[in-house]
Amino acid sequence: MRAARENLFHLIEPLLAHVEHPARYLDHEWGACERQDGPFHLCMVYADVYEVGQPNLGVAILYNQVNAQPDMSCERCYLPWKDMAGLMRERGVPLLSLEGAAPLASFDAVGFTLAHELIATNVLETLDLAGIALTSAERDEDDPIILAGGPSAWNAEPLAPVFDAVLLGDGEESIVEVCACIRDARSEGLSRAELLGRLAEVPGTYVPSLYDVRVDETSTRWGYAVPREGSPASEVVLKRCVGDFADTPALAQRIVPYMGIVQDRLSLEVLRGCARGCRFCQAGMTYRPVRERPAEQVVRCGVDGLLASGHNEISLSSLSTTDHSQCAEILSGFNRELEGRGVRVSIPSQRLDSFGVDMAAAVAGARRGGLTFAPEAGSQRLRDVINKNVSEDDVETAARNAFRAGWRRMKLYFMIGLPTETDEDVVGIARLAERVLDIGREELGRKAGVSVSISVAVLVPKAYTPFQWCGQLDPDEVRRRQQLLLHEIRDRAIRVSYHDASVSLVEGALSKLGRGGFALVHRAWELGCRFDAWTSEFRFELWLEAARDCGLDLAEVACEEFPLSARLPWDHTSPGVDKGYLQREWLRATDGVTTPDCTRKSCTGCGVCPALGVRNVIWGDRS
Amino acid sequence: MRQQPTAARPQDLPVKADLARLRVEYGKDSRLAYLGHLDLIATVERCVRRARLPFSIGNGFARRMRIQFSSALPVGASSSCEYFDLRLTEALDPEEALAALRAATPGALAPRRAVYVEGRMPALEAWLDRASWELCCLGAPFSAEELAEAVRGVRELGKITYLRGEREKRVDLSATLVGFSVREGDDGPVVELETRSSPAGALRPRVLLDAALGAAGLAEPSSVRVRRKGQWHEEDGCLVEPFGRLFQPGETPLS
Repeated sequence: MRAARENLFHLIEPLLAHVEHPARYLDHEWGACERQDGPFHLCMVYADVYEVGQPNLGVAILYNQVNAQPDMSCERCYLPWKDMAGLMRERGVPLLSLEGAAPLASFDAVGFTLAHELIATNVLETLDLAGIALTSAERDEDDPIILAGGPSAWNAEPLAPVFDAVLLGDGEESIVEVCACIRDARSEGLSRAELLGRLAEVPGTYVPSLYDVRVDETSTRWGYAVPREGSPASEVVLKRCVGDFADTPALAQRIVPYMGIVQDRLSLEVLRGCARGCRFCQAGMTYRPVRERPAEQVVRCGVDGLLASGHNEISLSSLSTTDHSQCAEILSGFNRELEGRGVRVSIPSQRLDSFGVDMAAAVAGARRGGLTFAPEAGSQRLRDVINKNVSEDDVETAARNAFRAGWRRMKLYFMIGLPTETDEDVVGIARLAERVLDIGREELGRKAGVSVSISVAVLVPKAYTPFQWCGQLDPDEVRRRQQLLLHEIRDRAIRVSYHDASVSLVEGALSKLGRGGFALVHRAWELGCRFDAWTSEFRFELWLEAARDCGLDLAEVACEEFPLSARLPWDHTSPGVDKGYLQREWLRATDGVTTPDCTRKSCTGCGVCPALGVRNVIWGDRS
Repeated sequence: MRQQPTAARPQDLPVKADLARLRVEYGKDSRLAYLGHLDLIATVERCVRRARLPFSIGNGFARRMRIQFSSALPVGASSSCEYFDLRLTEALDPEEALAALRAATPGALAPRRAVYVEGRMPALEAWLDRASWELCCLGAPFSAEELAEAVRGVRELGKITYLRGEREKRVDLSATLVGFSVREGDDGPVVELETRSSPAGALRPRVLLDAALGAAGLAEPSSVRVRRKGQWHEEDGCLVEPFGRLFQPGETPLS
């Protein structure tokens, strides 16, 4: 039975005085869509606290798209922090949306953004707080349709029993089509099962309940999914892709939060997709092809967005902003338009091979904080294995340019646990950081306070990357290599931070598991796992206990290698990248052979363009 | 968008005290009472940017807007009398500035008045040292008379010691509590407080109420609504309105 749609803010208000950061629950921000007339109501959920979820561009884009429809409304919902969740349970207050303070269980559809694997237990917590059945199979006829999408949907299997439908790829068009499909099916009086069948016919929509999982000699132990006999589901669901990206609104973030959020600035997506071909990078494979916005649109919409929002910083976001063929033009345009207004233009991270003198000057603007580069590996050999395509010279030139332009702090991202990695490669990370520090001291002198921070993640092999067949590095070995690196750092001006091997292990297991993994996620949630992406909240012992209860060994799951020929648990959902291409890339990786970027050289045969009927859209010259 | 003049030489940059100083009165109502002070500052700065006022930017590394606020309200307290002083690079008509600000500000923080004040007056936070408060005790299991007796009892002790987080704090009531009265309101007892703040300390209304209830052994009301109703500057025993002294340089100490 669907909950009644009513404003229940009066139930939340008395709790505000008793919780941390009550601003999380206030709503009514500048730019929020207060009119929520429907009659079709969608609620977009980011299953983490407000300050983490609010900056998410995906939610903002879909929120605007749906609210722009004449007969549809879209609200937002974030997961309350533990203190508020406890009070809500104690007083019987269900989870509410922000705009209308309506029970989540009263909506026609609820859409989750799966930003990363560690959000899994929070999805269950959200549904439970809302009083919505956790699995699709348990839901009543009239319950909301539970949707999901986002970067982690490429192995949605461990959460597949939860979702009624998963939207693959760009959501701008498909969210509207899916909402319309639900609305029409409801008005025609279709049963829930018929409605789900109808949803499977919307391109790019994966309906997990219409598939059976089979395990046989052609598959891994997690099996593969095949459409149920007689169901309208496709054997492989191809992702949606917006061909004319410049035709979509550039300014997605219209809501100006009251409270400080994790990325407290206006964010503008300047391009989508990346064809660099880094072999560990899931986004690089799943967001293809590359589609740039023209420089003029970026600058115009950025300035409009700053005026309309009042932000004092704009971030030019994408998978690789300095790869934009008109990047210098965009930066100089912003610096020209914003001069003297105390506004900062920032780029999330810079490519080492495209950070020239001009770029250094243009990015600098009026303020120079830290600068971030991602060499990813400490040796040229290993950078070739992962197809990073940057050389030692690129690193040195970029560092020299940055220090000359006035930066004093540099942050370098690395990974350990990459295939074929040796101790020499790990030590190479330390040597590279020292080299960058030396360059800074050469340029600015020893008394300038130059510092280098290195952040070392653990490779988590992800679906739809050439490393999807690899096992993750054993956690004990991860810790040994981390200690080796720490031991090799001898200068106090180099700070090292590294990812917890246990967190990476859970992330790795969730990236590998098939549909059978739901039992693990469910048990972990039952035992109290929440906010697993928060260092302070992650409880490895509960994950271990959950795995034991399910007869699993986390390390065994995460570190398992899959045969190159095996049918994989996620083969039935496709971003359009050809499996043969991924296999070839894996073999080239083991041989240390690099593959060029198709936006600079010729086509490398990933298969996305012909599969989706799209192409790279580059406004300038990248070569 | 109007631009701040950018000068090549530091001596050509505007001197802060010479810039127009627009004082704006605004409220903090309904659910935005739960907005913390730092979040409020960020929100008002964004409102000023949205209003496209010709605000001045400091010359420091961080290039911050030149804006000062009256003292922080406790989270959860509403107010009808908050103030900020904004330095402008040109003195546009205050009514025009007020209209632009109103159009760019959420209703619950709506600006009510805007007037230019003398540029060399002390900072707002220090200058507005007197305030009046109203505390409504909802669902209170005690009468106004019992509450009045409890507050009197604490006042006679002369000081309150309480924990804020893990730190022990002490407030001198003889310096910070100017007066109080208690009456029976529609929803429960209502306390009216007059407080004084100084660099030595300020009295938070809830701290006084909690101390009074604790000392008298009275149970907590189900909730307490706190509202700041007025802020003034105290000088020679008289209260000066925030907008009271206009364009009278030299009468107040230099900042």
